[in-house]
Amino acid sequence: MRRRRIVGTALIAVGAIALAACSAGGGGTTAGTGRGDITIWYSNNEQEVEWGKQMVEAWNAEHPDEQIKGQEIPAGKSSEEVIGAAITAGNAPCLIYNTAPSAVGQFEKQGGLVDLSSLDGGAAYIEERSGDVAQQYQNSDGEYFQMPWKSNPVVIFYNKDLFAQAGLDPENPQLSTYADFLATSKALVDAGVSTVAIQPAPTSEFFQTQFDFYPLYAAATGGQQIVEDNKATFADEAGYDVADFWATMYKDHYSSQEQFQGDAFAEGYASMAIVGPWAVSVYKDVNWGSVPVPTKDGADPADIWTFSDAKNIGLYSACKNQATAWDVLTFSTSQEQDRKLLEITGQMPIRKDLQTTYADYFAANPAYQAFGDQASRTVEVPPGPNTVQMLQAFRDAWSESVIFGKGDTKTALDEAAEKIDTIGQQP
Amino acid sequence: MTAVARPRRQRPVSGVSRAGAIVRGIVLGLGALLFLFPFYYMVIGSLQTTVDPSIAGAFPNPGNLTLDNYVAINSRINLLTGLVNSGIFTGGVLLGTFVFGLLAGYSLAMLQWRGRSATFALALLVQVVPFQLLMIPLYVLIARDFGLADNYLGMILPFFINSTAVVIFRAYFLQLPKELFEAARIDGASELRLLWSVAIPLVRPALVTVVLLTFIGPWNEFLWPFLVTKDAALQPLAVSLANYITTVSASAANPFGAILAGALVLAAPVVVLFIVFQRYFTSTDIGSGVKG
Amino acid sequence: MTDTLTTRSARAPLAAPADGRKNHRRGRLLGKNPLGLLFSGPYLVFVLAVFAFPIGYSVYIAFHDFFFAAPGAQVDRPFVGFDNFVTALTDPAVIRSFANVGVFLLINVPLTVVLSLVLATALNRITRLRTFLRVSYYVPYVTASVAVVAIWLFLFSGDGFVNQVLGPLAPDPSWLINEQLAMPTIAIFVTWKQLGFYILLYLAALQAVPKELYESASTDGAGAIRSFFSVTVPGVRSATVLVLLVSTVTGANLFTEPYLLTGGGGPNGASASPVLIMYQRGLQQGQPDVAAAIGIILVILVLIIAFIQNRFVGGDDR
Repeated sequence: MRRRRIVGTALIAVGAIALAACSAGGGGTTAGTGRGDITIWYSNNEQEVEWGKQMVEAWNAEHPDEQIKGQEIPAGKSSEEVIGAAITAGNAPCLIYNTAPSAVGQFEKQGGLVDLSSLDGGAAYIEERSGDVAQQYQNSDGEYFQMPWKSNPVVIFYNKDLFAQAGLDPENPQLSTYADFLATSKALVDAGVSTVAIQPAPTSEFFQTQFDFYPLYAAATGGQQIVEDNKATFADEAGYDVADFWATMYKDHYSSQEQFQGDAFAEGYASMAIVGPWAVSVYKDVNWGSVPVPTKDGADPADIWTFSDAKNIGLYSACKNQATAWDVLTFSTSQEQDRKLLEITGQMPIRKDLQTTYADYFAANPAYQAFGDQASRTVEVPPGPNTVQMLQAFRDAWSESVIFGKGDTKTALDEAAEKIDTIGQQP
Repeated sequence: MTAVARPRRQRPVSGVSRAGAIVRGIVLGLGALLFLFPFYYMVIGSLQTTVDPSIAGAFPNPGNLTLDNYVAINSRINLLTGLVNSGIFTGGVLLGTFVFGLLAGYSLAMLQWRGRSATFALALLVQVVPFQLLMIPLYVLIARDFGLADNYLGMILPFFINSTAVVIFRAYFLQLPKELFEAARIDGASELRLLWSVAIPLVRPALVTVVLLTFIGPWNEFLWPFLVTKDAALQPLAVSLANYITTVSASAANPFGAILAGALVLAAPVVVLFIVFQRYFTSTDIGSGVKG
Repeated sequence: MTDTLTTRSARAPLAAPADGRKNHRRGRLLGKNPLGLLFSGPYLVFVLAVFAFPIGYSVYIAFHDFFFAAPGAQVDRPFVGFDNFVTALTDPAVIRSFANVGVFLLINVPLTVVLSLVLATALNRITRLRTFLRVSYYVPYVTASVAVVAIWLFLFSGDGFVNQVLGPLAPDPSWLINEQLAMPTIAIFVTWKQLGFYILLYLAALQAVPKELYESASTDGAGAIRSFFSVTVPGVRSATVLVLLVSTVTGANLFTEPYLLTGGGGPNGASASPVLIMYQRGLQQGQPDVAAAIGIILVILVLIIAFIQNRFVGGDDR
């Protein structure tokens, strides 16, 4: 026994010593300086890879002394862990074209991001490109630690063929009020054209809230955030209505509590989907139409807001050649590159006057027009270092009361709001 | 408590009735089918063009069979590169475990030295601590302090010597008759010589078993290599497959079939290895080693 | 030549017990065979270099208000004593995850021990189709979880094969979204998947049970079942200890299956495991301090259980 204790103490001693040695870490470069080769990461979504590669090639051809090396990272639930680990180890790349706004607060707190507003002309460039929407991407001090890049405004897709089969009008679906939406769902399921009407993911990851509660709440409140000044705002009438709506969908089995293996909409398991323009290329074999998300009593589509599902660009502090990185950033978000992004991926660059700047594109691709318009009315996740924790707290309450029908939705939302207020008090 | 360290021939135990043997056979057979069924489903699923969850799907129409899924997944993640990387990763671990782990196991079993029980306790402790607890500090250590990110060495390092193998080696060596070693020592053999010419040949069948058990860990490991490598050319197949499942599959046609195809390619080498070496499992000295 | 040998061996028993030729005075300091230290040296260096820092660091993290930061960033990390442990232990989700793992172990461990021993005994006697039968029990063990989970999800989903076969007997809500059934389903899955490994251990242990014992048992008139309980079970006792230990340790560290099968912890966290919570808190939500506290609590609990098991089931495999 004694030996074990000795070894145990020795272990901790070694650990502590190593720690002390390691935490006397290296200093970073002065922000915004340094030119040379850089590394960038982009998501491994097929179209984004294509865009990324052509952007890198275009840059590299013109800049033999400042070459970019591009790598893919998993886009899904694990990208935050990968980035967080890279920040901690100090080997994050210069630019990551897949930085989720919900994680930016945390990365900023870790000291992993460069303040773009501190760079020469940084804030001006961002606001010039994105307009008013850019404000949502500032942190609480008004600084930009991320560059708003592209969004995927969430709308409702519906399967025209299945609607026709169920005896519903495929060109004028009744989906603008909650009552209409529920009635349409009932008709679809009763007619047996699909097993469920719509299938948002019922699992408990924190980001799933962004695809059921968030868009409808944004629509119901005309673009209100769910957390403002570290206080939860969603425990209001609009919030309760949205929760009750979805609770009814689950209770009446218009949506399933079980995760569907595969793509529910593509495989005809569901007649509708709540997705963004990235879905257009995935659903090319489905005869789809799109409408904005429903509101309680219906509203003019031109006034409806939704969730942005944005992915942004971060400039990471581990970068040695930040001047080059900034130039690449501006190059990759130039009008020309944004056009390529639109053409190759169909996702909406976060640009003001999107529809007029690329009028010819939208004329040639009417399917994307609805998205182009919707892109100007999007809400982002709340900024701050505790966003993920807040969203998780919300999701837990949602899962219990709305999806699995345990307990009263109003109470659940109230409790979640309290919890989030407490979380908001954390530094 | 020493058992004879020689492989035994199987003899049917007298007194077991014919009926008992038949019942046993049937029960085992049914159990085997139950165990194999998901695997069978995997094979069938990977060969079909579209996925069919109904009962009929288990017995597919031959017209529906295709190799497209294999082509599809190979076009998105290079299966061969993945296999090679998995091989390098696993090979490195086998090397470390069999050279240093074997030495450690031997010394824990046969030699008296200061710190012996502490080392054994350490080997056990390493197994108890969950990897997720250590992940980030380990990543910092290996990526930053050792500078081994995106590097085969960085991938192999945390797994280099498998602690479970050390414990099992120790158990096997404990079973060997001490007298053999005493005699050899008296004759002037060095420990290294003893290990090489006396101990290892006696546990050779057990070594095969440890190879197979140690193989599976790194071959199927996905969390660590996933964290440590960003360069797709270095990723083992388990990682590429996991990436494919979580992201790419959403935008592919018949992703399920492609995933199953990839999974089969990942599983096939191990199954083959097991089939080839499984005869060493019978009547080996694992039993005697474990018994001690 | 022979003379020297005989002299040496004649002298040996009178001197100290024959073990190595090291100098006894030096031997005292490092044990009788300091060569052992040399042999284990690389392993020790490996463990200390690779694991000591992370384990020590994790302990450090658990006692501070900590989050990971970029190297060189100035961050405040005050020492907070047992705060993180208190936070962890008062969080209902964490308590539930420990309860879940308890349920898991209660199902998995006995099932594993019993099934693997019974199957190993049967597989030991079989003569026909031996390779096929044995390999079929190993196959789930060697296949990557990531791959097998896809199939399992497919088979056990609401409209999956299993429910179609069960027809009206199918549980509603279906297996993995059913609060009561989610964890047991995972327990069955893991048992099925790991069984091959334990069958292997038992198969080997069975080889060492002397055949004479079975013969004498049958001459005494014991049937198959009787001899199983009076000969087999006691005969493989040390294997049982090993199986118990390993299955408990791997069960307590359950992560992959809840992560893959129920994406985020199942209905109301009904299938979350402590390691899954650690992963979420530590890596996704930026709270590595609470995560480390949970981890340390888990390790201590497992060590306690392992100690108790060792006491009860006995066996001196040290």
